[in-house]
This record gives sequence, structure tokens and C-alpha cells, in this order.
Amino acid sequence: MTSKENHKKYNCDDIEKYAQQYLDDQLDENKKKLFNEHLEYCLPCDKKMEFEQKLKEIVHKKLSHKEAVDNLKRNLNKFITDSE
Amino acid sequence: MITEKQKEFSKLIDPHLSSLYSTALRMTHNQSDAEDLVQDTLFKAFRALDQFQKNTNFRAWVFRILVNTFITAYRKAIKQPQKVSYDDMEEFFLYKRLDETVSLQETSKEEFLENLFDDDVKDALESLPYQFRLVVLLCDVEGFSYNEIANIIDAPLGTVMSRLYRGRKLLQRQLWNYAKTRGYITDDFKRKS
Repeated sequence: MTSKENHKKYNCDDIEKYAQQYLDDQLDENKKKLFNEHLEYCLPCDKKMEFEQKLKEIVHKKLSHKEAVDNLKRNLNKFITDSE
Repeated sequence: MITEKQKEFSKLIDPHLSSLYSTALRMTHNQSDAEDLVQDTLFKAFRALDQFQKNTNFRAWVFRILVNTFITAYRKAIKQPQKVSYDDMEEFFLYKRLDETVSLQETSKEEFLENLFDDDVKDALESLPYQFRLVVLLCDVEGFSYNEIANIIDAPLGTVMSRLYRGRKLLQRQLWNYAKTRGYITDDFKRKS
């Protein structure tokens, strides 16, 4: 694996290595292509990535609902009027 | 008498109040500390508004102030060595554990995620050491890019990535622990021999 940038195909270890970057769309085009090619023929890796994607969505969904900020808004109006 | 600066600030800050508060809440664990943290942040942001360059990323700018304010206020607590065990830090940790349990078919793994309570995910996240929690929040909840996060927490890109990936793995481990203790994974789902 010394010339990992040049080898033609990704194996399952490469998928583990780049999984998170793939998930966040941080891989360059070449790596992304190799990654996708592996997923096309490796069902176990494809399933794992699907699960990771889903988990990321769930974390986002469960934690990003809007908190009420009425208090903060009231105080905001108060301090910006007081501070000048 | 409302000045132009006040009007401008209100307009800029309004869309981000809720995310600032949610992030503060996840970092401080309680409403009153979170409100204080956001108040301080707003105050500093308003004072520093002249330094904000128009048409740059206001959201990242104000989150950077939030993070700085948090770190200053909680410096003492943060400096405590955080005991994290890095055992079980393999990739796909949760998937692999679920995969090792009998009776959980592919659809059920997804169902497992769907059936998690909001509080399970919140508690799991809040259990992470703060530097991991912060990066996971900024990326997965607030949707900041790696570069934006590097700027917000004032750390190199490599640090952002390692904290994010470790944080996600710790989160998976925590979710797996909840699954076991809360009976989502019952004794019927013994490990495959």
C-alpha cells in the first residue's frame, strides 16, 4: 500500500480509512471515484456506508430542532438599546 | 433610539440565535448557563461588529465568538484531564455491533436508528468530552465545513478531522451502550457465536 494514490482499486480497508471523509464529501474527485467503484461491487461496504449516512442524518435531525429563544430576543433588544 | 448599528446587528444575528442557543445548551448542559453564554457572545459580537468584514461569513464569525467565550468561561473545567478510553474505536463500530446480534436484519439496523429517542442522541452527544462534542455539533448539526470549523475553533484542519472522527466513534459507542442498557437490544439478541 505504499503507492496508495496510484493503485487502481480500493479494497475494504481503504473504505474504512476514507469513510468519514467520503461521508462529508471531502474526498478529491479521483478518490471519490475509486470509493464509489468499490461500493458498486462490495455490498457489505455499501451497507455500512448507507448506515453511516443514515446515522449522520439522524444525529442532525434529533439535535437540530429549533429551541425557543424568546428570552434571548428580549434581552438582546434590551442590551443593544442600553449599550449605546 | 435604535441606531443603525443596532438595527444591522439585530438583522444579522436573528437567523442564528436559535442555533447559537442550541449549541450553547449542548455545551453547558443547562438552560441558564446556555443563556448566559449566548448573552455574552451577543454582547461581544455587538461590540466587535466593526471588525466583522461585510459579505464574509457572519455565521462562522459569531460561532467563533461563541466558542471563544465558552472556552474562556469554562477554562478550568475544560483543563481537567478528560478520561476517554479509545478502545473499541474501530470504524463502523455501531454497525458492526448491530451486525453481530442475531435477528437484526438490514432493515432492522435502520429501524434501530429510526427508533432512537431524541434524548438518547442528546445524552450520547452530551456525554462526549467537550472538544469532540463541539466539533461533532459544528459539523453534523450546524453543517459547517471542515475549513469553517478549523477557523471557528482555531485549530488546524487535521485536528478538526481527528476530533470529528473520534467524536463520531465515541458517539456510536455511547449509542450502543444505551441500546443495551435500555433494552433495545434484549437478551434475545445474543451475539452470534
